[in-house]
Amino acid sequence: MAKEATNVVKHRNHGTGYYVFIAFVMLVCILLAVLSIIPFWIMIVNGTRSTPEIQAHAVSLLPSTHLMDNFKIINEKGSFNAFVGFRNSLIISTGATALAVYFSTLTAYAIVVYQWKLKRAFFTFIMAVMMIPAQVVTIGFYQMVYKVGLTNTFWPLILPSIAAPAMVFFMKQYMEPAFSLEIVQSARIDGAGEFYTFNKIALPIMKPAMATQAIFTFVSSWNNLFLPNVILTKGNVKTMPIMVTMLKTDIYKVEYGSIYLGLTLTVLPLFIVYFLLSKYIIAGVALGSVKG
Amino acid sequence: MKRLVATALCAIMAIGTLAGCGSDNAAGGAASSGAEAPKDDPSVKTINLWSFTDEIPGMVKKYKELNPDFDYEVVETIIATTDGAYQPALDAALQGGGADAPDMYAAEAAFVLKYSQGDASGFAATYKELGIDVDAKIKEADIAKYSVEIGTRPSDGEVVALGYQATGGAFIYRRSIAKDVWGTDDPATIKEKIGGGSNSWDTFWTAAEELKAKGYAIVSGDGDIWHAFENSSDQGWIVDDKLVIDPKREAFIDASKKLKDNGWHHDTKDWTDGWFADMKKDGGVFGFFGPAWLINYTIGANCGTEEEGNSSYGDWAVCESPIGFFWGGTWILANKDSKVKGAVGKIIEWITLDTSETGLQYMWANGTLNGEGGTKDTVASGTVMAKSNGELEFLGGQNMFDVFVPANQFANGKNLTQYDESINSAWRDQVRAYTGGEKDRDTAIADFKQAVADQFTSITVE
Amino acid sequence: MKRKGVSYAKYGYIFSIPFVVAFLLFQLYPIFYTLFIGFTNLKGFDTALHIHPKGLFYNFKWALTNDTFITGVKTTFLLWICNFIPQISLALILAAWFTNERMKLFGKGFFKVVFYLPNIITAASVAVLFSSLFYYPVGPVNDLLQKWGVIDAPMDFFNDKWSTRLLVIFIQFWMWYGYTMIVLISGILGISPELFEAADIDGANGLQKFLFVTIPNTKTILLYTMITSLIGGLQMFDIPYLITNGHGEPRFAIQTASVFIYNQGFTGEHNYATAAACSMIMFVIIGVLSAIVFYLMRDKDEAALHKVIKAQEKAYRQKLKEQKKGGNING
Repeated sequence: MAKEATNVVKHRNHGTGYYVFIAFVMLVCILLAVLSIIPFWIMIVNGTRSTPEIQAHAVSLLPSTHLMDNFKIINEKGSFNAFVGFRNSLIISTGATALAVYFSTLTAYAIVVYQWKLKRAFFTFIMAVMMIPAQVVTIGFYQMVYKVGLTNTFWPLILPSIAAPAMVFFMKQYMEPAFSLEIVQSARIDGAGEFYTFNKIALPIMKPAMATQAIFTFVSSWNNLFLPNVILTKGNVKTMPIMVTMLKTDIYKVEYGSIYLGLTLTVLPLFIVYFLLSKYIIAGVALGSVKG
Repeated sequence: MKRLVATALCAIMAIGTLAGCGSDNAAGGAASSGAEAPKDDPSVKTINLWSFTDEIPGMVKKYKELNPDFDYEVVETIIATTDGAYQPALDAALQGGGADAPDMYAAEAAFVLKYSQGDASGFAATYKELGIDVDAKIKEADIAKYSVEIGTRPSDGEVVALGYQATGGAFIYRRSIAKDVWGTDDPATIKEKIGGGSNSWDTFWTAAEELKAKGYAIVSGDGDIWHAFENSSDQGWIVDDKLVIDPKREAFIDASKKLKDNGWHHDTKDWTDGWFADMKKDGGVFGFFGPAWLINYTIGANCGTEEEGNSSYGDWAVCESPIGFFWGGTWILANKDSKVKGAVGKIIEWITLDTSETGLQYMWANGTLNGEGGTKDTVASGTVMAKSNGELEFLGGQNMFDVFVPANQFANGKNLTQYDESINSAWRDQVRAYTGGEKDRDTAIADFKQAVADQFTSITVE
Repeated sequence: MKRKGVSYAKYGYIFSIPFVVAFLLFQLYPIFYTLFIGFTNLKGFDTALHIHPKGLFYNFKWALTNDTFITGVKTTFLLWICNFIPQISLALILAAWFTNERMKLFGKGFFKVVFYLPNIITAASVAVLFSSLFYYPVGPVNDLLQKWGVIDAPMDFFNDKWSTRLLVIFIQFWMWYGYTMIVLISGILGISPELFEAADIDGANGLQKFLFVTIPNTKTILLYTMITSLIGGLQMFDIPYLITNGHGEPRFAIQTASVFIYNQGFTGEHNYATAAACSMIMFVIIGVLSAIVFYLMRDKDEAALHKVIKAQEKAYRQKLKEQKKGGNING
């Protein structure tokens, strides 16, 4: 690979080696793309198949004709209310993502830009928090939520994301080489307040990093099942993924077709959010461009 | 910084104390219960219902429909058992108490013992506390013995849970295959052929060999016979805090190996593609072990379609299993701290003990809960079963209740423990590893013991 | 004038307040609770916390002498290393290709976006998908392999130690390489274009630019990737738990430390105390390894950076002073 990479550049006039290499790269990419898309295709296709069809052959690449039947089953069950679920999921995921992205950037900014005594200790502390195994800690978290009476509210799923150690870490790592302190200093000379400098100058520069992290947070918050399942027990506050599991509640008769349809409906909003934010992944607003 | 930490700590502690006080009050308020006729708090007009399916909420809706003067609002909380989410949430809610705490809750066969006899049985109200004359009613309704055994709390011998279904199992076989091999599909004859009710597997193996000679498998996978092995044992997995491998359960590992080595089954796992496929016309599998619900929901849904020309509809019949067993079922419990025990008691009595034609069980058995033509199922009350009709076209017109009603009496509710769900799956894993050639028999059993020892520090494993 | 430049240090504290408050409110109690129950004998429905009667560190001793837990820790390492190395290698190569301006790839943007897609589906769906694909005795993969004559009889993939492990490794790799790639790309895009321009002027070729501009300047992001992957990998839970019904079947093959911990705390008799002790042991292991990674990847650059920052601040103060002086003179 390394040799080929060298070839690319040596043959500026694009010799055969270059085209062979490009063909190879394309092949790899197409293969990986197929591997990435197939599961979605299977999921969507299964949403159009009847339960016996799925039970007979779990995987098919050709759609069937039972899409409407599956919609009917979802409606009959009554527990899957796509609108309510979508609204709840959207509130939680948007809230958690916005808070996490904004405050993590702010915290990272505090670490990168300012010199303060407890800075190193604080960073070490953040790293330590990140390393705590999550599962068992949830026991204490449930207890707290139940004791404080925050069950069936969105707060315990939104507010804790203000302290998102992994994202602070990412923002710090991203800022360190890329963020020039000169910008802050020139802002100061212009008489800008520190908070203003952060909001109006630092945040725009951090856009690509924020977009990337926003995608990750939104996806994981949207798909989160374990915690919401225990905290949100009433029908009108349930999220979309919980509603999908509700389709599986009839233990003697599982309607796989409707479950796949539910999964498809759940993943659609994610697609939209992802493709909206993905322009930052595709184009990438280079940091340096802001400098001038 | 330090001050901030201190303030926050104080706040957290204060919250903790407050919550503590709250739950103390709740417990104090309910301590007066225990009388025959419960006094409901008239200010409370809601019933919190926790369930893992929409089955019981549906029943409660029907109850409210039939009793318009029942003026309680029922708040449903439905959490799927998928990924083990129901129990942690229910446990937290029972422990947490307060206004959102469940007044009535459902438990499935796999974990009901935890709530009726085990660690969480302390939260349950006795049926007597709910104002139900439970002993007389059980007799009158002739409730299946195992259902009562499971619902009886050992610490005081009181009934705290009952089910509405009866899930006694039988052998559900293909008529056409029976004719091909033995020249008849008559349930009485087939019962003899497979050793139905003989309490032994010897005849069953003979039948397996005869079926194999004609190219059929007697069952689809080893999971099919497991429930019968499990239920036939004299002792449960745990006796006096010690792990016991009852010889009759240990025999399952050899039976499973026998099935595999002799090619008597298709080596499928229950609830997977291959298993479902074996229910079709050309599935080549003689039969399945299961209760009535397996016919209704599983075999019925997977028997193939006419269009494909691969339907086994109407080609089925039931006969007695070599060894009696039950599989699945839902039990209903009430919270001892509920403020509306009288109201909850009325619903529970209607579901579990009412034998009239407007009682739940009659409608459930005859498939009339949501209008005529619904799914027929076996119910816990023998009295109701006696006046219900279990004829099914799916079974070629056979009245399935003729077989399932006695089957309910064979089922054993005494050899179960609250940890069976975990222990059973560890056992089935190891048996599969052994029959699949992954390890030898001794290693499989040793690994099983290790698995149990790891997970249950209170159980002694030798 | 008495004012000697402004100290901005206080803003470091102020800007950290939201994080600290949210942490104190929502995470401190659960963490201390976990830490504490590791020393108790809490299980099942008990609520009272008592120090373990067999000694303060009984649960820790129990965990460290428990073969299954030890095996679980080893398995976790095995599964993580086997998926991380190919994952980061592929992610780096893809990131290099996609950020190389000279490489004219058709559909670059499309690929970049699509590769992350496996991470969008929930682990539960992924597990269902793969177990359906590899069903035994009849399943798509078994059917194909038999059709092509690779195997004579259907293979029970999830009843074989190594095929189960390989599948888990593959799934983890497949779910996360796109994520890693995006993180790396964002790091590379953060590099000032001036550096590349300078390299161009010096006549560096693509590989040289990758090695001497891209890699050193994405070091901080690489460190992030290493550390988060280490943490995520050693807490690996979803796929091993979901793909074989939560028991790491065939037993121990894919029972990671987290699966063991989960089964301790959330199933059976709910041994919260042992689960907490095992979690703390994992925490220490992760902490030590992370410290090592930090040490290995922390080079003189960062120390140098600190000096630069200090110098800049100094220069800035100097400048302010001079301005003031100038002002005075002018005034």
